[in-house]
This record gives sequence, structure tokens and C-alpha cells, in this order.
Amino acid sequence: MTKLILSTGNIVSGGPSIIRKSGAYRSNLELTHSLRSSFLAAQQDYAADAYSASSSDSDNAASTNGSGSANGNGFHYSASAWTAHEGGVLYVPRIDWSLAGLQEEPAQYDITAKLFFLATAPVSKRAQYAKEALDLVLKELRVPSVDLLVASFPGMSFDGDCEWEADKLNATQGDDEEEAATWPAVEELYRQGLVKRLGIAEFGSEKLARFLKRVQLRPAVNQINIKNCCNVPPPLVKLAKEQGIDLLVHSDCTDILSRGTLRELLGQGPRGAGVLADSDSGGNGLQGDLAPQWVVKYTAVVRDRGVIENKGYFAGAGLAEV
Amino acid sequence: MGLLALGTALDWPEAQKQAHLVRAWGIKQLLEIWNKAKGKERDALLWGDEVEYLVVTYSDDDPKALLSLRQADILTALANDTALSGKGGCVPELQDAPNSKPNVTLPVFHPEFGRFMLEATPGKPWGIDFKELLNVEPDMKLRRCIAKDHMLPNEYPITLTTFPRIGSPGVFTDPYYPVSGSKLRSQFVPDEIANPHIRFPTLAANIRSRRGRKVQVNVPVFRDENTPWPWKDPTVNYDLHQWPEDDDVRNGAAPDSFIHMDAMAFGMGSCCLQITFQAKNITEGRQMYDQLSPLGPILLALTAATPIYKGFLADTDVRWNQISKAVDDRTREELGEEVGLSHPALNSLCLLTIHQPLNNSRWRIPKSRYASNSTYISTDPRLRPEYLDPELVIDEAIKQELLDGGMDDRLATHFAHLFIRDPIVIFDEDLHELDLNKTDHFENIQSTNWQHMRFKPPPAENSIGWRVEFRPMEIQVTDFENAAFAVFMVLITRVVLSFDLNFYIPIQRVDENMETAHARDAVLEEKFWFRRNLFPVRPPRSAHGSGSNTPNGGVSRPATPAGPVEDEYRLMTVNEIINGTAYARGGEVDGDADDGEEEDFPGLIPLVESYLDSVNVDVVTRCELATYLDLIRKRASGELWTAAKWIRHFVANHPAYHKDSVVSEDINKDLVGAVIKIGEREQKGSGFQGLERDVPALKRLLGVFRRCS
Repeated sequence: MTKLILSTGNIVSGGPSIIRKSGAYRSNLELTHSLRSSFLAAQQDYAADAYSASSSDSDNAASTNGSGSANGNGFHYSASAWTAHEGGVLYVPRIDWSLAGLQEEPAQYDITAKLFFLATAPVSKRAQYAKEALDLVLKELRVPSVDLLVASFPGMSFDGDCEWEADKLNATQGDDEEEAATWPAVEELYRQGLVKRLGIAEFGSEKLARFLKRVQLRPAVNQINIKNCCNVPPPLVKLAKEQGIDLLVHSDCTDILSRGTLRELLGQGPRGAGVLADSDSGGNGLQGDLAPQWVVKYTAVVRDRGVIENKGYFAGAGLAEV
Repeated sequence: MGLLALGTALDWPEAQKQAHLVRAWGIKQLLEIWNKAKGKERDALLWGDEVEYLVVTYSDDDPKALLSLRQADILTALANDTALSGKGGCVPELQDAPNSKPNVTLPVFHPEFGRFMLEATPGKPWGIDFKELLNVEPDMKLRRCIAKDHMLPNEYPITLTTFPRIGSPGVFTDPYYPVSGSKLRSQFVPDEIANPHIRFPTLAANIRSRRGRKVQVNVPVFRDENTPWPWKDPTVNYDLHQWPEDDDVRNGAAPDSFIHMDAMAFGMGSCCLQITFQAKNITEGRQMYDQLSPLGPILLALTAATPIYKGFLADTDVRWNQISKAVDDRTREELGEEVGLSHPALNSLCLLTIHQPLNNSRWRIPKSRYASNSTYISTDPRLRPEYLDPELVIDEAIKQELLDGGMDDRLATHFAHLFIRDPIVIFDEDLHELDLNKTDHFENIQSTNWQHMRFKPPPAENSIGWRVEFRPMEIQVTDFENAAFAVFMVLITRVVLSFDLNFYIPIQRVDENMETAHARDAVLEEKFWFRRNLFPVRPPRSAHGSGSNTPNGGVSRPATPAGPVEDEYRLMTVNEIINGTAYARGGEVDGDADDGEEEDFPGLIPLVESYLDSVNVDVVTRCELATYLDLIRKRASGELWTAAKWIRHFVANHPAYHKDSVVSEDINKDLVGAVIKIGEREQKGSGFQGLERDVPALKRLLGVFRRCS
């Protein structure tokens, strides 16, 4: 099993990936767009350097450098130039940790990490995933802890024609057992002082009530995503108020990275990064069955200025050699 | 307006002699504060809004609505009531508003130029805690409530930009005063229209005196079915012979088809909504000044609320140019007026126009002291020289002094441009010695440069930070709308700083946009120059530190090969700018961003939503913010009307309107009455149901938001 760590770098001033498209309500477009731009940028920055260093024809190098469409022509930069193997982990793209960190003291920031547990990975590994993901965030931001860690579980949403219906439907989603079994993993991060507050996402009133009965450390935050944020299901408002849980808004989907999407991002297709070999024809790239394990989104906001200084994603995936 | 110290104000001939001294001392004070404050760092975002009110008298059985001139009494009453309690019982209502705190800091009231005006600001500046943004609207309501409670029963603070019949023949103020006073010499408004504090009449008189004639505020009249054409302003009196300035109208000051006004009160008597932001340091302040500058005309068009002047429908929708003309102190030489205007026949034959030679004035000046910005000031490497105006008039000697004092070229140029103006009001007492612990002389010039943005150095004691004031917005009828626009602008500044956006277009295009914003219904009918691509160029790995949004932090990428400046911007509707191309087209955008539809502009509201998606906001707050964004979205798309459009509709459908552009006493009264009723409903929080009978098309103005229905 090879571990892959995908990363976007700081996307906040990185151009249009961050812009919500109209109609793209509850989506993973921000993640997929910014991963794709991150790969492309790294290819341009690292691979083109390597290419031009090995080539005496500078004109040729320049034209390669400037053109992202090289991908579209079936050309792929050699992955070894812009990705990195370290300690059994393949970083896509490679990460220059010397550039990590924030501009001001950690106390100046409100730092949120949201950890997406995915259906494509075993529940038993979630404690390990949580640690991996949070470690990367702390390393990237060079901070000792985050202010809020939100755990997102697969298969949950607020769908329905009205808020009541959405709340009802929500009660049947997800998997209570798995969610309760996972919670101690994030509680542990809290106990270690790496996280100051814990949160969950997309819990309707019934699910939340059931969840609260089973956990030791209660979540301080519940993120919800409803079509019109003014129509919060009243039972949920009531419960959250009673339990002192902040209801925050978000716009992510819980199933943020599917097997197919990941394969497309890394594959040999016209918009792929060319890291992964095609399943049928083989050829260049890694062989095997690639499964997304987790995604973590992190955001650092300068507290008293409301400026988002850093935002990005890491995604972990496992490649099982066939 | 600041600078209210009392003293002996110099008449113009004396003031003019001291102008150089005031400039010289002003520059020394500027250098002092600049040296003291240029290293200030990490100031929090604090911001404030200013709401201006007209005070009117109105009662059902009084046939007229009038401007109340009791400003001084009202301010005294407010000052004497230290608790400033809302006696009318509106305060408890406010506490029901979401997140409002019981211990509200009391608002502050200020005098304004017009003796019929009040200005109110929050008691302490706002921060950026998102819940705090929801306190803005209740605070605005509290201000209105407190103001009303310190007025007579028949007096009301209303937020129309201008009083529809100011300057109309007959009685329009309470109490009445005759026109043609010695200070304003206006044939339409009395001297008593201005705040009696010596500063204000002196300001008006010295502007007139410096200019050499009265100001000429001419606004094109709206031509309706029965409007006589060519239209001659029937209220102009050509037979006055009391003051030399009475000759002005006989010398062509009142051209056909324009509503003619002749006093500062017609402009400076307008109410607007201004927002001031504190930046984290001087660099961020300069960046915000530049980036908000191209947004000025867009927000002016979007807040349009000024379709009536002096009892006539105008052909423009906003106040801006009227204020500009109302304080235009430029001499004929500075204006570069053509010589020999009195021989039109000769003139038309002569291809070479001859301008007034510069005998007494130092330079020709293309714009009034009240005008859109004339330059950019940021150190941003994305500021291309092509965006600047090569013809910018500056005082070279002052620029040199600032450079010698260590200031950089761009900022020195900005201040050397502001300092081409003379100080208008000089107090004799201030000329005895230069006090470098004050900024009074600097502020004298700075605060009488009324550009659409203002870059504000910290005060002399350096207690607060560098600030930027956003000045173009027109005041809106309700506090809901005023809060919406204030909060929107605050969010826009956070978006600009977070996403490191670039709104630069050549400054001359901003000027053009400002003119465009004046057109009737410009928000829907006109297009504005706007930058196509707002996003920063991705920094290469080697400079990929966090936060290239703060110039101190990262290495700026060397200028990328830049194409022609003209390719960087195009004409867009306000709808496209605010809501994005996809929304303006009426369709959903293709879910895939990479498909390279370059012409797709993202839109300011989607940008704000993307920002809000990236920060932690609770559902109640987000819902309230969404309501504000909805109002703005719908104003931009035309689904809701601007106040200007609504007022035009009100007039056009009034039984007393004869389709002749005349806004009669009856219409004036009913319009003011409608605005008062809207305000009362808003204050009570009782919604607007049933009000449509008295207030036609109210839903087109305010929609059916939760507060309104």
C-alpha cells in the first residue's frame, strides 16, 4: 500500500478556484478545481525547470512552460519532477515546507479545520486519518493547535422540499454506529490540546439528539448546509440552543472526493495529472487500486480583521497494488 | 464635517493672502504625522458609517411639508439629554433584534452644512465579528428614534438625499426667511439655510468670492409629455439688482433645459451614506483606497436616489455632480473658459478656441474640489503607470518638499494634487504659530477636497490608524437599505484583501463611469468600464509564502508581461458587475470553471458569498447577511427599483402631476409623507402591509424581505 497526499497549497489568493459558481450549491468543485490548478502549477514550476535544465533548446522549454494545454495533447510531465516520495508517502505535488507558516502570531488567527471522513475508507482507520490530517494542517500553518475541528461523516445532507422534511430525511442518513465509534478519535485530539473546539456537520435534530447521548465530549459546533439558510429546521434550532451548540453555515458536500473523481484528477486523461496509470492500457504511472481516505480543509482568518490569509486542502489516498 | 473651532474667519481677500502659509504649514503637519504613523502596524479592522438626515416638518392638516431649520435646537436638546434615551419607546423594540446587546453605546449626532440636516454616527466603531454586523441596522434605527424624540411632534428625520422643493419659489423652510442674503446671494435660498456656525457661511461666501461669481448648479430637466420645450426654468428671476452676482443669470448662467441653482446649499444640502474603514497599516490603506476607487461609480448608480431638484424632475438620478458644482470655487482661468463667449457667432467660426490666459491663477484645473478621485496611491506592483492620469495637476514644489521629507513619489503626488487647492476657511487665530502637534492646517486642505474616496492619515496624537473613506453612496430611504449597503461595502473590503483582488482600470475610465452613473436609471440602462480579470497571478513556488495579500509578507511576483491596458477592461452592466455574467445572462453557468469562458465576470456578490463560505458564520447571521445581499442583487438586476426610480414613479402617478416635470407642493408633501410613513413602520418593526395604499409601488422599492412583509 502506497500512501498519497494531495495538496492545494494556499488557494485564497490563487485565483478563481475559490469562487462559488452559481448553481454549485453543496459541491466539491472548490476542491477539485484547486487540486487541478495545484497540479498544473507544480508541473509548470518544477517539471518545466527540470525540463529546461535537461534541454538545450530553450525555445522549446518556454513553449512547454507556458502551455497548460500540453495535457490536453496527451503529454504529461514526468511525475518524478513535481511529486516527491518521502518516507513511503507520495506527495502530489511535492511540498516545500520551508514556505509554510502564517505571517503573524498564531493567536491572531481563527483557524478551522474540517475533516471529511469518506465512505471509501475503513472506519477502523479513522483515528489514524484524523491524526495524519491534523498533523499536516499544523505543519502547513506552523501553529500548535487549531481553534475548531469539524468532523464530517459520509452520506449526510439536508435535502427536501421544506426544512421539516429535510430534518426527517436526515434522521435516516449516515451511520450512527460509525459516527459514535469515530468520535473518540477526535476527542483524543482535543485532549492532546491540538484542537480547542470540536464540531460536526449536517446533523439534523434527531441525529444530533442520538449522537449527544452517546458521546462524552459534546460538539460545540454543528455545520449545516441548507438551500436557504433562513429556513433552519425549528427542532434543530431548539436543540442546538438548549445544548449550547453553534449552528454554522457551510457549503461543502459530505462526499467530497469519490474514487472516480480522484482517478480522473490523477489519471492519464486530458485533464488528469498523469500520475496514475490507466486501468486498462496500463502504460506510465502508478498501477493499482486508488481509494480516497480523507480530506481536510483548513482556513486561517486574521481574527480582528476578517481577512482570510490561508485556505487549502489536503487529501489522503491509499494505493493498493494489484 | 470636523473643524468646528470658533474664531475669526477671514473673508476671501484676506484668506487668499494666507493660503500659501496654510499650505506650507499643512504640509509640515502632514510630514509630521506621516513620520509618526507610517510604521503603525496591525491595527484591527474598525469601521464606521455616517447617516445624514433631512429634518422636515409634516402634518396631515398642514398643506406643506417644509425643511425645518431648527438644527441647532435639536442638537442642543440631544446634547442636554445625556442619557439619550429613546423616550418614544422604540428602544425596547430594538432589543428584540437578533444579537443586539442591551448595553448599546449611544450614537453621536453632528451638525452638517445644511441647517435642515443632521448627521449621526455609531457611538463606537464597528468591528468585523460577523454578529456585530447585524447591530448596524438596529443602531441606525436607534439613531433615527433618538433624533425623532428630540424634535417637535411635527418634525421628522428622513433620509431622502435632497428635499424635492428646496429653492422653489415661496415658502419651503420653517421658519421662513427671504432669499438674496449677503453671504449666499442666492435668488432661491436664504442665507439662513446654512448652518449659522461661522465656518459654513464663510465657506459658501468664500467659494463664491474666489470663483468671482455664484456657483452654477445646472442639472438637465426631465422632458415629459407636457414639458414645454425648449424648457426655460420658470423660477429664475432675471430682474434682481441687489448684488453684483445678480448679473450671473443675465450672463448666461441659466441655460435652456436646465434646472438652475445658484448656491452651495443645493449640493452640500444632500444626504449621503459614507463608510470609513481602518486599515491594518498604511500599505493596506493605500491598497484599499485604490481598489475601492473603481467601485465608486458602480455604487453611486446602484444607490441612485436623487431625481428631483427645486421642484422639477431632473434628467439625472444622482446627487454627485450637483454637489461638485455647488462647491466649485475655480476661477475662470482655472476653468479654462473660452475667451469671448459673448460673441457666439464669431466663436462658431473660429476653429481655434482661446482659453483664459493664466494671469492670476496658477494652473488650469479640470475638476472641482468635489469630484471623483484623480489618482491612485498604492505601492501595489499591479498598479501600471498607464492607469494614472498623465495630466494630473500637482504642486511641484509641495511634492518636492514631501519627497525631501522622505515620502515616496506616489503618495507625495497624491497630496501635491490635493494641495493645488486654496484653503477656503481660515481662522485668524490659527495663524499665530505652527503647532506640529495638530493637523488643523493639513485637514483644512484635506477635508475640503471632497473626492469619492478619502485617504485619512491618523490624527495628530496617532491614536487610531490609517483610514479610507468611501463617499459616493446616496442615502437610502430605510435603515434596512442603508445597513445593507454599509455591510456590503465592509464585506467587499474583506473580499478584496482576502482574495487579493485587482480592480484597477485607468483612472480616467473611473471618471467616465462617474459621469455615466448620472444617467436616468443608469443602473439598468448604462454600461460601465470594469476590469475583466480580478484575480492575482499565481505566485511561483519560490515566492509561495502565505498571504501574498499583504505586501509586507511575500515577495511580489515581477510584473508579468502585460498586454495593452485597453484589453484589461470592458463595458459591463451593473447587474453583471454585481451579480456576475452568468446571472446577468439569466442562465446557470456551466458547472465547470476551466472551460475558459474568459468573458465570464464572477460578480461581486458571488465573491462575497465565496468569502462567507470560507469563514465561520452562524445560520442566523448568514441569513441576515443573505437578506442584505438579496436586496443589492435585486437592485442591480432591476427586480427592485432604486429610490430614484421609485420617486419618479411616485411623482408620475400622483393625481397632481401634469406630466410637465413639475413637482408641486402637493406631490412634495405626499412624497415626504410617504417616506415618513415608511420610516414609522420600519421603526415599529411592523412590516409594510397595508401601506401600499398610501405608498404606491413600495414592494418594487423594498421587495418582500422578512422585515418588510
